Amino acid sequence: MDIDIIEENVPQFESIKLAGKRPLAVDEAHPFELEIISSGYSGRSAVERYIQVISQCPSLALPAFQAALELVLQMSDTTLYRAVVTSYEQTAIASNGELPPLADVHQLNQHWLDDMKQKNQAQRVKLETELKTYTSNMIKESIRMAYRDLGDFYRATGDHATALKHYTKSREFCTTSQHVLEMCLSVLELLIEHRNYAHMSTYVFKADAALDATSIARGPAAAPTAPASAATGKDKAAAEREKVQSKLDVSIALSYLGQGNFEKAAQAFLKVGSVKSLGDWAGRLIAPSDVAIYTTLCALSTFSRQQIRKQILNNDNFGVYIEQEPYVRELLESYMGNRFKLMLEILERYSTRHALDLHLAYHIAALTNQIRSRALVQYFQPFASIKLERMSTAFGWTVEELERQVVTLIQSGEIQARVDRQNKILKAKETDQRSALFARAIKSGETMQVANRKLLLRMRLQQADLIVKAPRSQITGHTSEYLLSDYYMS
Amino acid sequence: MSQPGSSAAAAQATHAGTSQSVDALSVDTFVSQVITTGAAVLAGKSGGLAPKDTRDAALAQMLSSGDDPLLVLDPEQYTWGYLHILCARLSNTSPSKPSPEVIETFCRRFNPEQARLAPQKVTVLAKGIVRVAAELGNDKFALGPLYNLVTRYPSSLACLTTVHPIFVTRCVATKHYTLALPVLAVPITTIDLKLSDLTYSDNLTYHYAGGVALGALKRWKDAEEFFEICASSPAQLPAAIQLEASKKLVLTQLIIYGKTVPPPKYTNSALQRLLKSSPYGAFAKSYPLGKAQLLASIQKDLDLFTTEKHLGLIHQAIDRAPRWLIQKLTSTYLTLGLGDIAKEVGINSEEEVRSIIVNMIETDEISATISADGTVTFSDPVPQISKIDVERILRQAQEQTRLLYELERTMNANKDYLTKVRSLSLLLI
Repeated sequence: MDIDIIEENVPQFESIKLAGKRPLAVDEAHPFELEIISSGYSGRSAVERYIQVISQCPSLALPAFQAALELVLQMSDTTLYRAVVTSYEQTAIASNGELPPLADVHQLNQHWLDDMKQKNQAQRVKLETELKTYTSNMIKESIRMAYRDLGDFYRATGDHATALKHYTKSREFCTTSQHVLEMCLSVLELLIEHRNYAHMSTYVFKADAALDATSIARGPAAAPTAPASAATGKDKAAAEREKVQSKLDVSIALSYLGQGNFEKAAQAFLKVGSVKSLGDWAGRLIAPSDVAIYTTLCALSTFSRQQIRKQILNNDNFGVYIEQEPYVRELLESYMGNRFKLMLEILERYSTRHALDLHLAYHIAALTNQIRSRALVQYFQPFASIKLERMSTAFGWTVEELERQVVTLIQSGEIQARVDRQNKILKAKETDQRSALFARAIKSGETMQVANRKLLLRMRLQQADLIVKAPRSQITGHTSEYLLSDYYMS
Repeated sequence: MSQPGSSAAAAQATHAGTSQSVDALSVDTFVSQVITTGAAVLAGKSGGLAPKDTRDAALAQMLSSGDDPLLVLDPEQYTWGYLHILCARLSNTSPSKPSPEVIETFCRRFNPEQARLAPQKVTVLAKGIVRVAAELGNDKFALGPLYNLVTRYPSSLACLTTVHPIFVTRCVATKHYTLALPVLAVPITTIDLKLSDLTYSDNLTYHYAGGVALGALKRWKDAEEFFEICASSPAQLPAAIQLEASKKLVLTQLIIYGKTVPPPKYTNSALQRLLKSSPYGAFAKSYPLGKAQLLASIQKDLDLFTTEKHLGLIHQAIDRAPRWLIQKLTSTYLTLGLGDIAKEVGINSEEEVRSIIVNMIETDEISATISADGTVTFSDPVPQISKIDVERILRQAQEQTRLLYELERTMNANKDYLTKVRSLSLLLI
């Protein structure tokens, strides 16, 4: 049993994300349509997105609330239902009467709650009895299935911790690597739903190993059958394998994104297979347009221009994803065409959309900052000196704003230049490499000599065994007694 | 080693002296032995003379003729015996303390080679001098004799002795910092336990007190080295004085570099942890900010800084904060108005900023020019390296190499090392 049970199953970012943020504006300049959610996602993932909208942007709270209610009442998760209701209630209270209070919009559906509770209870008892019977009969495969069913059940009712426990428990009763794979994918789905990024990679690696094992096991088995059917079987297996691989790639990419490792996230997203290979995850966990957005933002913030051209723009597979979200192509092209003003405008225009995204919300500020800095660095690269005014028009900022940005970049060492404040010019730094080298060599020579001397003394001290030891009595440190007066007070 | 004049007499006297010395030792016989016998011979058997306390009691007596043995013996010729009597007389129980003049003369005239035969006695003497000075109520008295002792006793100032820490602490305690400079200028490179009965706290105290003295003279760079040596001395457990030294080290580094420098890797890690979590770590972390902010940030721990007597250093560091901020600006800006600088640095008056900048230009901390309208133009200082500099540095490097090579040779010839290597290679086979 090499699967670590994750005890802390609460997404660590949620509280930070939702705490004390100003309400997001949805207006002409920052469009956001609930359509995106209703058409792109289904089930729990749609409801959670609605909750995000309800709590963060009051102007859309009411329609989002209604849409969420409609969905959640078809499910069997009472906790989720309560979460939807509470989030609306809080937004309504915070809106100072702009939104109708909860009582006017929706009456708590106690009947449904009781009903669902009973049903869930009955279902649980049934599944647990099954599990007990199987355990006493010692039928491995049935026990595994019973655990899996219990896991599915708890997942549907919103008890993530218990669901995870049952899924991992089923690992003990897996007999083939196909089963292990199935278990890993279930756990991954659960983790993605719950945005538990830190643990995803563990299960991705396990699943990878299991995936390799299944394809090896299948290889020889297919050999004795007729060559024709073997070929089709192989194709089918390859397609199946690609599907699983895509899911794993999505998981690992999400885990990198969740942990703020944007470059690796972009690389991983680019490995994801065709849209079709996402299979039942599309919509349930992640929409193809999400893949396009995540990849593009991550790539813009970390990739070089060459990489972007080669890996994204000339990538046919990824082109299909981009088609899902036309503004992403615009964003990429404006960056590649050095139209930074346009690029920043697009980013700003879709900032609401990004902030309302479940996986992106926490990182969007950092991503935007990084993209902006890279743009500035790239813009300045070919110049020896440039007027700040010209630069500010290229970025659509005021001179003061630009100067502030440039100064932070200089201080963090990303731009090798200095600002001429009086004449408003940015000037690249020139260093005399030869004398700099001399200076560096001399300095390191001196430090080395000093270090040598100190080390020699240290060595001698150790040879003479003059090492500070634990005091037998209170001898140590008392030497400082008569030095205790402030000699530096002037 | 023995006195050239008395070597012939010594050979005869040894036989006569041995039989009588064991039972009844009086100061008379001791003096006659010292006069007749070579110091080296006596030193060789002094362990078997008599129990230490009775011997000291005997040596503290006057001669039977009523003369003071210290006036009879010549300190230069009979240094070894003189030292023993002097130490006996300096001890607490002694009824007749030697006069300050006697001590001074001895320290000025003693023969180092003979003195090295009785290292413990030198330590006792040094401590005794301090005590005498305290009894006289004249702290400064100790400095002269101690200075003579510390400079004349070891074969080279690079050897640490027990007198070193005593001398430097007295200098610090009496605020005669410059007096310690000739001693502090020679870095310690040799530790010889035969030369002096050192303990680890001698090394720590010496470097700590040396750092304090150099810091008081505003020779920050030297002070930094001393504090660093103290803080990074080998330790199984960090000593309290090492923690004090690291605190001072951090503050000193803020004054010289405007930031802390990571300590050598071999520094005890517990020390670093302690320091980081202390208010000193917090102060170093927030440094450099505007003066007002820094002053506000230390308010909370003001009591601690005051009781630990570091407020003076902290204020000096805070006074220098604007300089570091200005220096930072030079890497970001080419030109700045005095008003802008004042705003960035958090100083209200432009005049103050101007005077700081002028001073910084004078001390070569930045290279800049101030124009009449108050615009400061920063320029890159181009380091000028002449051929002579390069040659000097190369020579130094060669010297280092030679030194290290010698060291390796001695190491290769070291018996312990060889046995270890041999046992290791046997293990590998």
